[in-house]
Amino acid sequence: MADFFSGLSSVAQDEIFSYITLIIRYILPIPAVLTVVRCAVSLLRRGRSVETWGYLSLPNGSRIPLEHWENIIGRARDADVHMAYPSLSRSHAAVIRDGAGVWRVYDLGSKGGARVNGAALTPGEGRVVKSGDLIDLGSVKLIFVGGGAEGTPAAPDADGPPAAGLRPGATLVFLTEFQLLLGVQACIAKSDALTAAVPASFAALIAVMWVCYALTRSIGRVGFEIETLAFFLCAIGLSITASSAPEALWRQTAFLCAGILLYCALGWFLRDLDRTARMRWPAGAVGLVLLVVNLLLGDTIFGAKNWLQIGGLSFQPSEFVKIAFVFAGSATLDRLFAKRNLLLFIAYAGACVLALALMRDFGSALVFFVAFLVIAFIRSGDAATVFLSVGGAAFAGFLAVAAREHIAARFSSWGRAWENVNTSGGFQQTRAMSAAAGGGLFGAGSGNGWLKQIFAADTDLVFGMTCEELGLIIAVTAVAAVAVFAVFAVRSASAARSSYYVTGACASASILVFQLALNVLGSTDILPFTGVTFPFVSKGGSSLIACWGLLAFIKAADTRPGASFAIKLPARRRRKERRDLRGGDGGG
Amino acid sequence: MIRIKRRAVSVLLLVALLMGGVCLYVARLARDGERWASSVVNRAVFADGRLAAGSLTDRNGVILMDARDGAARVFAEDEKLRRATLHAVGDMNGSIGTGALTVFKSRLTGYDFINGIYSREGAGDAVALTLDSRLQTAAYDALAGRRGCVIVSDYVTGDIVCMVSSPTFDPENPPENIESDARFEGAYINRAISSAYIPGSVFKLATAAAAIENIGDIYERVFECEGGVTIGGETVTCTGSHGSLTFEDALAVSCNVTFAQLSLELGADTLARYAEAFGLTRRHNIDGTETARGRFDEAEDGSPELGWSGVGQYNDTICPAAMLRLAAAIANGGEAASLRLVLRGGLEKLMPAATERVMSSETARKLSLMMSYNVERTYGAENFPGLRLYAKSGTAEVGGGKQPHAWFAGFITNEGHPLAFTVVVENGGAGAAVAGSVANAVLQAALAG
Repeated sequence: MADFFSGLSSVAQDEIFSYITLIIRYILPIPAVLTVVRCAVSLLRRGRSVETWGYLSLPNGSRIPLEHWENIIGRARDADVHMAYPSLSRSHAAVIRDGAGVWRVYDLGSKGGARVNGAALTPGEGRVVKSGDLIDLGSVKLIFVGGGAEGTPAAPDADGPPAAGLRPGATLVFLTEFQLLLGVQACIAKSDALTAAVPASFAALIAVMWVCYALTRSIGRVGFEIETLAFFLCAIGLSITASSAPEALWRQTAFLCAGILLYCALGWFLRDLDRTARMRWPAGAVGLVLLVVNLLLGDTIFGAKNWLQIGGLSFQPSEFVKIAFVFAGSATLDRLFAKRNLLLFIAYAGACVLALALMRDFGSALVFFVAFLVIAFIRSGDAATVFLSVGGAAFAGFLAVAAREHIAARFSSWGRAWENVNTSGGFQQTRAMSAAAGGGLFGAGSGNGWLKQIFAADTDLVFGMTCEELGLIIAVTAVAAVAVFAVFAVRSASAARSSYYVTGACASASILVFQLALNVLGSTDILPFTGVTFPFVSKGGSSLIACWGLLAFIKAADTRPGASFAIKLPARRRRKERRDLRGGDGGG
Repeated sequence: MIRIKRRAVSVLLLVALLMGGVCLYVARLARDGERWASSVVNRAVFADGRLAAGSLTDRNGVILMDARDGAARVFAEDEKLRRATLHAVGDMNGSIGTGALTVFKSRLTGYDFINGIYSREGAGDAVALTLDSRLQTAAYDALAGRRGCVIVSDYVTGDIVCMVSSPTFDPENPPENIESDARFEGAYINRAISSAYIPGSVFKLATAAAAIENIGDIYERVFECEGGVTIGGETVTCTGSHGSLTFEDALAVSCNVTFAQLSLELGADTLARYAEAFGLTRRHNIDGTETARGRFDEAEDGSPELGWSGVGQYNDTICPAAMLRLAAAIANGGEAASLRLVLRGGLEKLMPAATERVMSSETARKLSLMMSYNVERTYGAENFPGLRLYAKSGTAEVGGGKQPHAWFAGFITNEGHPLAFTVVVENGGAGAAVAGSVANAVLQAALAG
């Protein structure tokens, strides 16, 4: 950059640069908003795309489709197979398919009992059923018609061939434009002492993004919106790091690649529900061990003992425990009805929150607690029980341990940052708000802010720094991008195969959204300042990698046809079968 | 699964918390953003607690303060101009609370909701004041180190073109003994807007207006002055024995006997009403700065105090800026244009000035005629060459064996120079001679421009 302009006097060069920065400031929000809006529309616009995995035939000849891998039969209105027979229990039985395509019937503790081919079921124990088997629920008799082989729905999605809304490639072009402009701005801001790291890291980000897209297409998947949103947030994160700590750019880029690798690995792992279910306990155990090791050997950095040094690397185990927590906390439907499982999870969650409280990592403890509430509620459906018996006790205990001086101080100065401008109660927040206001809607340009001089500007105060350098529009767009993850996770529940994926996606999204709320609203004095990170944007390795890991759970809930690499869909065989099925239908 | 789906909706509560919080933040930003961005914590525009962005110029673009390069703030190049504009601009440490550096802080940071504080040149904005640096130095020279103030405005637009307060100092080299040296006592106060002085005879303009509007035969009357009049056992004295006087003559020679008697006839209530209506007792807002409040205590009807209050003594005080506003209103047919210090640019220029009618145009015309007669009969037109001058002097007794404060207030109607003025020289002596010559020097400079 500087070489290119070397023929010009430095004054003329500065003049040209100032115009380039000015122009970019005002056009940068356009590709940002376009990217996020296109992703949001693409992810949320389509109605529920249903997969049919099997049927239940009634004596009168009508067929009831099984639209999930886990289906509840009962009298209740919200049963998946709802039949208004007074003799049925509200939740009478469950018909559940495993990853290998084997179906089982479970008696959910019904009054009338359930039989398969005349043999009574023991509550809590599944019985394998095959096509043509008779399921007898007392007064109601059903013939089970099973689906196809592994990963193949019995009937294709009504919406036809793979399509994932707006063309993701076009969206990616907008995002690339955003990243390029941001990179140019960051280079200009550092033009006096430009290091190779600044252009190289932006180039690497763009390259990695397109490679990921090419790989996705090469395995026949078309959905890339979730990744696109994450790459959008990562671009902002790179701009922040380039501004505040350019020497850390190489490392940050490496962390980004590590995060993407984890994302791919975890996404691939989640394809197989049985394997995933088997690994729940080990994953939970690893998480707990990490926390305990952290508690015993951890270093106290900036008031919280949540750092662990191994070799030359320091990392925050609590970030990775989030993944283990979601992994272990999510459950398939057959386990949902066993109280023992929920109790164990409550104990596990309590241990995690307590460990974090002992580390004085108040923000993370709160994030875990909220994730726990979401998982427990989705699993049990009983808000009163969850909140009162468990939440109350756990939180009271947590507060007793955690409410030490500095946390109490943060609560006491909450909402009064401007009265504590030069004390710890408001020093960072007032700087963040002042800098954010100074940025206006369009920002000062990447690298041109001053908030980076303040401690934790690129982590806890990163919302303020984003507002200052990139403007309010892009900052709010970034917040919206994370909100899109959550709305998508909720929407995915209607077409999900297993409740494991729904719970996993919702828990991950909750962690991201709640953490974001603490970050944004804490630094702007709307919530107490707890010092957690802005997902994907804040500088830091552990946080970035863990966010990509959590994203895999959301990707695994994307059941839109042919969209997600984290969902098994042997494409060729499926297409052939679909053709056969269509031909058959046409002939009949 | 339907059940799970319904429960999953609970996640949207968190989304609502997040988005609700962000909306609250944006609402607060819209309300308080200017305060946040102009706060001293903003390092883009403040360094070591001092504003370090933006620039101030006079109405012709002469630099009065420049902090655009961030680190160092510089004031006007010319030392005399620095001294003359100290109170209007402000000092290095913010000790002068009414200075533009303090009052126009948020304008200097250049904040607006859309662009924040940044433009292509970086943070901060250029603010042009209505002052004319030529008049500033002329007024500074004319005051010649005496305590007091000069304030001049365009009576059509309300622009303050000259505002100098003394004692003053050079903000680039502030004297170390400001706090202890008696010469600098009150140097941090802008006397033109933050002080209120005993007015003496300039108050007679208010009494005269009340008489014009409330005493039907005022122009037919003949007043007798024998150097004093006894009211309630106390004598209200005159500077001399004026003999038989018409109403116009009584104002021209500033006859206390006549105006004390008129005050008694009008009553304390009526005088207080006029003082209030003419804006002499209340505060005025000059682009965000409040002027000092004046004072008019209602003395008992029939008492000597009432007589004294009607000639600008007793407990009366007036802020020079308020007096200027009254002089400008008389010049402008009874309508007072709001005084202002920030030069309007662009479309704002086309907007008519905000005005307030303080008296009928008839009363304003009659007062003008009398003020012109004052110059002709008493102050001497030859002392104000080339000026079409309308004025009233004041020689305010301050007691304590000190010289009286000299006041001179009025306006000129020279083509292209619609200027009203007020000059106060503390303990300066006779109003017309002392304050009048300062006014003349400034107005001559204005005409020369």
